Formats: sequence, C-alpha cells, structure tokens
Amino acid sequence: MSDETPQRTIRGVGTMGKAWLAILAILFVVGFGAWVYQLMEGLIVTGMNNVFAWALYIMLFVFFVGLSAGGLIISSVPKFFHSDRYDSIAALGVLVSFACIVVAGLLVVPDIGRPERLYEFFTSPDFRSPMVWDFGIVIVYGAFTAGYLWLLTRRDLAAMGSRLAFGVKDTEAGRERDRRISFWFAAAAIPLAVALHSITGWIFALQIGRGDWFSPLVAPMFIMKALVSGLGLVIVTAILADRYTTFELPREQVPELGKVLGVFVAVHIVYLVGAERLPGAWAENFGFWDITTGFLVGETVYFWLWTVVGGVLPLALLVIPSIRKRVWAVFAASVFAIAGILFEGVNLIFVGYTDLYIDAAPGVTTGRGYVAMGSDIWATVGAYTPTVVELLISIGLIALGALIVTLGLWYLPVQSGEVLAPPASDTPDSDATVANGGADSDAD
Amino acid sequence: MTSYGMVIDLERCIGCQACSTACMEENNVSLDHIWNRVLTEGGDNIDTPAGKYPEDGGDGTGTMSMEYLPMACQHCDNAPCVKVCPVNATYTREDGIVEIDYDVCIGCRYCIAACPYNARAFNYDKPVHVPAEGTGNVPERPQGVVEKCTFCTHRVEEELDPACVIACPADARIFGDLDDPNSTVSKYVDKYETEQLLEELEADPKTYYVRGQMSPGRQRPTTELEGTRRKKTSIPEGGEQ
Repeated sequence: MSDETPQRTIRGVGTMGKAWLAILAILFVVGFGAWVYQLMEGLIVTGMNNVFAWALYIMLFVFFVGLSAGGLIISSVPKFFHSDRYDSIAALGVLVSFACIVVAGLLVVPDIGRPERLYEFFTSPDFRSPMVWDFGIVIVYGAFTAGYLWLLTRRDLAAMGSRLAFGVKDTEAGRERDRRISFWFAAAAIPLAVALHSITGWIFALQIGRGDWFSPLVAPMFIMKALVSGLGLVIVTAILADRYTTFELPREQVPELGKVLGVFVAVHIVYLVGAERLPGAWAENFGFWDITTGFLVGETVYFWLWTVVGGVLPLALLVIPSIRKRVWAVFAASVFAIAGILFEGVNLIFVGYTDLYIDAAPGVTTGRGYVAMGSDIWATVGAYTPTVVELLISIGLIALGALIVTLGLWYLPVQSGEVLAPPASDTPDSDATVANGGADSDAD
Repeated sequence: MTSYGMVIDLERCIGCQACSTACMEENNVSLDHIWNRVLTEGGDNIDTPAGKYPEDGGDGTGTMSMEYLPMACQHCDNAPCVKVCPVNATYTREDGIVEIDYDVCIGCRYCIAACPYNARAFNYDKPVHVPAEGTGNVPERPQGVVEKCTFCTHRVEEELDPACVIACPADARIFGDLDDPNSTVSKYVDKYETEQLLEELEADPKTYYVRGQMSPGRQRPTTELEGTRRKKTSIPEGGEQ
C-alpha cells in the first residue's frame, strides 16, 4: 500500500469502514461462540428433528454454493473468449466467489453431529455418496478460486511491493504470460463451476426418499440458480463497493450486467420453472384452464416469494432499457433475484421434509422432547423453526464472508490492473462511475 | 450366501406394541426414539379407525376400517442410506443386514434424508433411559450419531431370533434367511401375497408384509434362530441377567 505506485486497492479507510469491520468481527465472534455452545450441548439446541433433519445450515449452504458462481463466471467467460469486457470487476468477482465458497464449506460444519470425525472423508470415503463428490468439488473449487484470485492480482501485488506477491516480479513479459495462463484458468473454471452446482444439486436430486427431490431437472436448475444469484451478488457488491469505497465500477457496465442478469432470470424462472411444472400440471388436470391454473399457480408461500420476488420483479426492472440504465434499478433487481433464490433454496428443503411417505398415526419419533412419561415425541409432518443458536452461527459465518470481501478490497488490488498497462478501453474516471442513481458519490 | 429378512403377517398383527416395547428394552433405545413403531392405518390417532359408523344399525353403510403396520428399518438390498453415507459408517453386512458403525458415523444425517421409511433416528440430545443405566444387551449410542433397527445383530450372531420376533404374541413376525429356499420366510414370500413397502421406489426391502390371507405365522415356541441348535437361554453371551 505504498503511495508512489498507482493505487489499485481502495483508499482512505474511514471511521465508517472501521466500524463496519468491527461489526463484522463482533458478529463472527458471537457466531463462533454460539457454535462452541452448540458443540457442548449438541444439535438439540437447533430446531431440527428426525423428520426435518436438515435445515437452516443446509439451506444456506446451498444458497452460498450458488452465490459463489457469479464472480468466477463473470471473470472467466469473457477471458475464455479473449475479451477484456468486465475486466474491471474480474478480481472483485473472484474475491466474492472465494468468500462465498468459504462460507458455504464452513456452513456444513455446524450441521455435522460429530465434526471431530470429519477426517473420515479422507480415511474411509464411500465414492457412491454424492456428499463425497461435493466435499471434493467444494475443496477443489475453493482452492481454485484462491489461486485464480492470486493469478489475477499477483503482478499488481508485486507492483505495490506487497508480500502477498510471494516473490513474483512485476514485468511486462510476466503480465503477458499471466494473461495467457488466465485463459487456461478461465477454461478450467467453467467446467468446474458446472460440476460444483450440478453435484450440489445431485445431493438432493438422487434421493428417492424425499418426495420431489428426485428429479433430473434439479442439476440444471442449480446451475441457473447459481448464475442468477451469483451474478446478482457480484452486481450488488460492485455497486456497494463503488458507492462506499474508491473502487470504481464503470457506469456503462451496469445496464450490461443488468441485461445479462435479466437473461439468466428469464431462463431460470420463466423457462426452467415452467418446464419443471408443466408435465405434472398437464398430467394431473383435464380441462384446459385447469391445466393452465395448475401450471401457473403454486401451492406454497415460498413458491410465490420465489417466482414473484425472484422472477417478476427483477424482470420488470431489467426488461425496459430506460429503467435498466438506472443503477438503483439494477441494484434492486439484483437484490430481488438473490432473495428469490434464497426462498427457492428454503422451499427445496421444505419440499423434502414436510411430507412423509408413510405418515400413518402416530408417525415418526422426532428424537427430541422426551421429558417424562406421556411426552409427545411424535410427528406426522415435518415442521421447523430456526433457533437463536442456528441464526447466530449462520450470521457469524455470513459476516466472515463479508469480512473476507472487505479485507480483500483493502489489501488486494481488485481495481482493474490495467492502470499500469492501459488497454484501448481505459477505466473511466470517477465522474463516469456509478453514482448511486444520480446522487453524489461520497466515498469514505 | 445368507440374506436375512423378515416376513410380517399383517393379518396376524394385533397392534399390541409388544415388539416395539421389546425392541426398546433389548436395544437400550433412548426414550426420545422408537426404532420399531406399530402404526395405525386408519384414523388420525393411534388405535383409531377411519370411516363412518353405519347410519342405522346393520344397514351396511358403515365404512370403519383400521389396520396395523409395524415399521422399522426394512434392511433394503438396494439401501439408499448405505449409498449416501459419505464415510461408510452405514454398510451392508455379509448376511444382508444393514448396520451402522457408531464409532464412524459423523452425524451428517444424509441417511435420514435418503430413507423413504423414516426408519432412522438421530441423537440430537444425550440418550435418556429409565433406569438411567439403560436396559438390554446393547451399549447406548452417543449423542451426535444416527441409529436404527439392526435386526438384533447381537442376538443373530448368538443364533437367536430378534427380540421383536420373540416378543410377538400373535406370531406375526418371522425372521430367517431369504437366500435359503427352505426357510419359513422364503416359503411364505413364495406362497402368500406379500408386499414390500414403497416397492415402486426400488430400494428392494428385505421386509415383506403378508396381506389378504393369514399365514400360519411363526410357530416355533423357542427363541433360537431357525435352523440352529436349541438354546438353553434367550440371553446372549455377555448379556446381563
């Protein structure tokens, strides 16, 4: 962070920045404390039971695996086609991907009944288990994003004299070489991302035991969910970073990113969800309008949250070019799209665990709640409400993700490294950058 | 090869819950769980029928019906729980019984998601027993692992029938080797109309339910496993009197 080289890390961490960091650190520490408490008491302090056996941690695991897609895709796909489009957010995107996959991986740990035995994934794995596949791919993906992030920033780190360059020198030949290497990283990133999201989908889609989970469409759906929520998160992060730090997001890229997000949302909510629902609705109903109603009208509140909040609202904001030009509209559409995908993940777990195949009275023993003779330990439907402990642990891990992104913004040259070797399309000046929809940009 | 399985004659079952109680006691099951449940197929509560009383005495309009369905681990041949276990804690033994190694289980509960029969139970809390030191002939399972019916492997290894089979006063449960064509289970599966629960899911359970016509049930008065020599006591080696 020397002053003689052009600054690619963000400048001027003010009081607000420090306060933000402190809040995140406190949330993380509180979450860690809650996890220690859960370790001592066992999973009895969660809201889970034998019927509803996976809950908030797994819902968020699925969500964060999806979120990790966006940054890697937005930085690797253009590179793969030898384009420098979106170079300005490439490093930031990969940083967000890395943070999300770290959060996703860690969210599994509190879900495990005996985490001290996790080493058995290495000592006695069963390669039939989709969980083993997912364990492998999450680790590979996490290591890959970390390596890719370093590749994208190491010459700039060297130019800054940062120790994080690990001896790499900032030379023109070296930068050219890194550009070639990053093509191969980009080529590897795409199948890796497809594998990560498909395998995470197959954890559910291979199970005959949980109602509608068993569906070949789940893996493609997971890929689209990842593209929608992941791109949404990159947009949100870039706009916030532009608003509150010296990070600069070229203004003209916002509607472009919005357009891509709109296409993803349309493919996901309009096409794939439709394709998933039509066969059932057609087979179950007889009249034309019955089929149409069965197709369009969902049964659960989550369905509406996910299709309206995650589909209709973002599409409405992104479809019209004059609205799409406004930063607030793209920002809001991204937030809605992310929220929709979160509801969809919640819905997935509820779909699996609410109804039992064999629900004759008195049902299944819940595995908790025995106090004395006559205690009701039975359930014929799954029900779940998260406990404070679950919420604190989850918030703590999400805060850790935000910490990684914030510290990355501070210490890594996430601002486009093209400043040293300016290409044709130079990074625009601050007056051309996103200015939160017209208001003045006050970077602190 | 041996492939242990069970035939449960639903025409003989009287819903007395003796198998369930015997299982809890023999296997030292925490009071939070029941491995072996006897469900009522009928009304909304246990021991209640579905349907309506006849409107006018014997006018033939009554539709009351109630049946019992004993449920525990079905010991599937194509067991989804075995296939999903990431660390090989749940496995199929040489004799076909699906068992859990409680020292290996990491408590991820993927098997609970995989099992369509909801036969598995997770120790969210520390096990609760009355008396506190526990009952039966099996050590208690620690907090944080998944457990389930084992077909009483500890008894089978001592050439004894599982506890639920011995306890059934209606002789509705028959245990034996499905690979041996001369075993009672094989003969009953062959002769009577039997059903595997949720057959369409293709887990291929080794538990068969007789419906429609009553079988002679399990007629032997002794406790030993079919085809083994007569035992003096029903308590396995090392068990507490």
